[in-house]
Amino acid sequence: MNATAGRLLILASLLVSTAGALVAFAAGRSRSAYGLKWAQRFAYLFAALMVGATAVMEYALVTHDFSVSYVAQVGSRSTPLWVTMASLWSSLEGSLLFWGCVLGLYVAVATWLTRNAYEEYMPDAIGVWLACAAFFSFLLAGPANPFVLVPAQLDGPGPNPLLQNHLLMVVHPPFLYLGYVGMTIPFGLACAALIKGKLGPSILKPLRESLMLPWVFLTFAIMLGGWWAYEVLGWGGYWAWDPVENASLLPWLTATAALHSIIVVERRRVLKGWTVTLILATFLLVILGTFMTRSGVFNSVHSFTQSPIGPTILAFLAALLVFSIGLLAMRIDRLEVEGNFESAVSREGMMLFNNLLLVVLTFTVLVGTVFPLVVEAIRGRQMSVGRPYFDTMVVPAAALLVFLIGVGPALPWGKTSWKQIRRAVLPPLIGAMVFLMAGFLFGARNPWTLLTIAFGGYAAQVTLWQMRSPFAQVQRSPRRIAAYLVHAGVVIVMIAIAISSTMRYTQEVHVVKGGTATVGAWTITLAGIEQRDEPNRSATVARFVVAKNGVTKTILEPRMNQYERMREPIGTPDVYSTIGGDFYLSVMNIDPAEQSAAVNVIITPLVGWIWGAVILMGLGGLMALVPAFRFAFAGAPRAAALTLARSDGV
Amino acid sequence: MNRKVLLAGLVLAGALVFILFAGLGRDPQAIDSPLVGRTAPPFTLREVGTGRAVSLDQLRGRPVVLNFWATWCGPCFEEHPTLVAAARATPNAQFIGVVFQDSEAKIQQFLDERGRAYPTVIDDAGKTAIAYGVGGVPETFFLDATGTIVAKHNGPLTSEVLEAYLSKAAQ
Repeated sequence: MNATAGRLLILASLLVSTAGALVAFAAGRSRSAYGLKWAQRFAYLFAALMVGATAVMEYALVTHDFSVSYVAQVGSRSTPLWVTMASLWSSLEGSLLFWGCVLGLYVAVATWLTRNAYEEYMPDAIGVWLACAAFFSFLLAGPANPFVLVPAQLDGPGPNPLLQNHLLMVVHPPFLYLGYVGMTIPFGLACAALIKGKLGPSILKPLRESLMLPWVFLTFAIMLGGWWAYEVLGWGGYWAWDPVENASLLPWLTATAALHSIIVVERRRVLKGWTVTLILATFLLVILGTFMTRSGVFNSVHSFTQSPIGPTILAFLAALLVFSIGLLAMRIDRLEVEGNFESAVSREGMMLFNNLLLVVLTFTVLVGTVFPLVVEAIRGRQMSVGRPYFDTMVVPAAALLVFLIGVGPALPWGKTSWKQIRRAVLPPLIGAMVFLMAGFLFGARNPWTLLTIAFGGYAAQVTLWQMRSPFAQVQRSPRRIAAYLVHAGVVIVMIAIAISSTMRYTQEVHVVKGGTATVGAWTITLAGIEQRDEPNRSATVARFVVAKNGVTKTILEPRMNQYERMREPIGTPDVYSTIGGDFYLSVMNIDPAEQSAAVNVIITPLVGWIWGAVILMGLGGLMALVPAFRFAFAGAPRAAALTLARSDGV
Repeated sequence: MNRKVLLAGLVLAGALVFILFAGLGRDPQAIDSPLVGRTAPPFTLREVGTGRAVSLDQLRGRPVVLNFWATWCGPCFEEHPTLVAAARATPNAQFIGVVFQDSEAKIQQFLDERGRAYPTVIDDAGKTAIAYGVGGVPETFFLDATGTIVAKHNGPLTSEVLEAYLSKAAQ
């Protein structure tokens, strides 16, 4: 019953999205208002069908309908309800269904917000959105059908144990999808602008906002993934340059670049073709990332083992590449240049520099990620690109970006005299010196760490100085203050990453029951070892009393979780977080017979600041959108006019 | 039409798609054996059933297929008919099954039920499996006539894969 209903909804969504895309493109060609109306209706209908299909799947999961193939694959009567509901995105087919659902919601909301505006661009934009929707409906209808009717069984194996191991794993994937899938919207708008051969001032606002929202989600998603790795995987780190981590970072880098270059287009009417290229690249990198996760070509904690849809996604990526490159080649010269670059040492000059750096970073990470494949294809030999490559290449660029966050906003727009430049650029050196000394006193000795701290101090002074004035006029300039919040977040994140990755202390200790081990100022005492049976797993837990300088601080319980489906237990660390840093215990071995445990003690300064500062970045991004939403509801054209009239963008 | 954009874009995109396409079907978890290209570690083991000693040195002069397996391994059931058929079809190659962590009675029963076409030896202490770096059965090594390992396959063999490796070993 559920299988049939779900299947019918998916097939209908394939029909509706295909028909809608054709109608929309036809309406774009003939400039038909009537055609646009129909395209909008198809967009809403697609969303309704996808949400319906997802609801059917959730219902099947919650009611344990094992006649649905996906439920038989990931469902289990013994998992708690939250795990059952989150199982929707725990495996290949379900996560694509979730993708379809998120895409439907994005397309519907974007269509609705723009329903009475941008008539010139919207038919083609809706056409591109629905064409992408048709591809995902096709995947769900054929190669990755989650609604296959199978002989019902009594119980299922449950989802991947890693998903069940931490609450963060339930939150991370939805944010990632909200980020990834949302990039479809700016992609559609950018394609529409190219098709029309025009990137007028009116389209910049929806372009910027539709890019900002998924950017915020993607920012959160990357942080949540790192946090999850830190809390669950037990090696005490949060980023390993794993191919799939890189896959989430690549579109984030280009989207960040595009968010800055759009401002230059708004203010100076230059970089139009460049901006559109960045937006197209962002979506292409999203699809590349999807391929990386789904094709089984890359080894990673995320790989959906040897899935059969790799070739289909690769074909989609190839088609999108040809479409995007063709479109760019045909139209990029028509995106008329109205303004010109007056000076390299200016706000726009620094934004261009930041863009180039971000693009270089994107290429660096992309090359490092696919290089093993290149070597294998050409020389038939296996190799891996390790941390040293990424660290050597990325650290200097990242430090330079922190510097630009300082120097960019310090400089005025357009042509400037040397006197103005000196007045803007010299005073923040005080901030740099103060931070540098603080870092040195804190114990930082690594030159890159010290440089990042100094640049961070420079940027912090500029950011605080700039914020001071907009704070007084927050009503007038929410976008500016939002941007400075994001910048402040980035500065904190970069300093925290620099310090936490270079000043980490690790020691292995072996403790018997009642015994203690001392690591620096910290002492751990093994209070006991317990066996705990939970519905979906059994756990061997080591209870440690943690004290610092003789004062008991907390009890930590690192554990080994044994899931029925896994042969090996999953070690799960436990962390005591403070403002200054984290005390992290990761078990390597627990011996209940001898009542002893071997643990890895990891002391990492400032790591908690990363999570907090990324939340600040995300909130800053949302703040840039909030007034925008208000305007959008009041009527888009008026809002666009308002934005232009105020023209106080950062 | 901006030809520069078109050309640069297509070259970059073409290279990327080609690399990704070449990577399809690759198993990222498979790691090449460091033994490939080296002389196979020698061994002398007891043949199941007859009890006679089989040594690798005796087999120089023609290609050897060394298949590590066990009766408790599911995929070994799958690939057994493929190996038996190939051994019968290629008399100029010597197939040898090496069983470890298993009992002779169970092996006998397995071979009685599923057929035998080549000698099976038992690696009682598992020393040969360790020397070959076997991580999990089934794993198959292909040796050329000089006793050099030319290829290693992890997991069950299909007849196409087996043939490809055999022709490599026969060169």
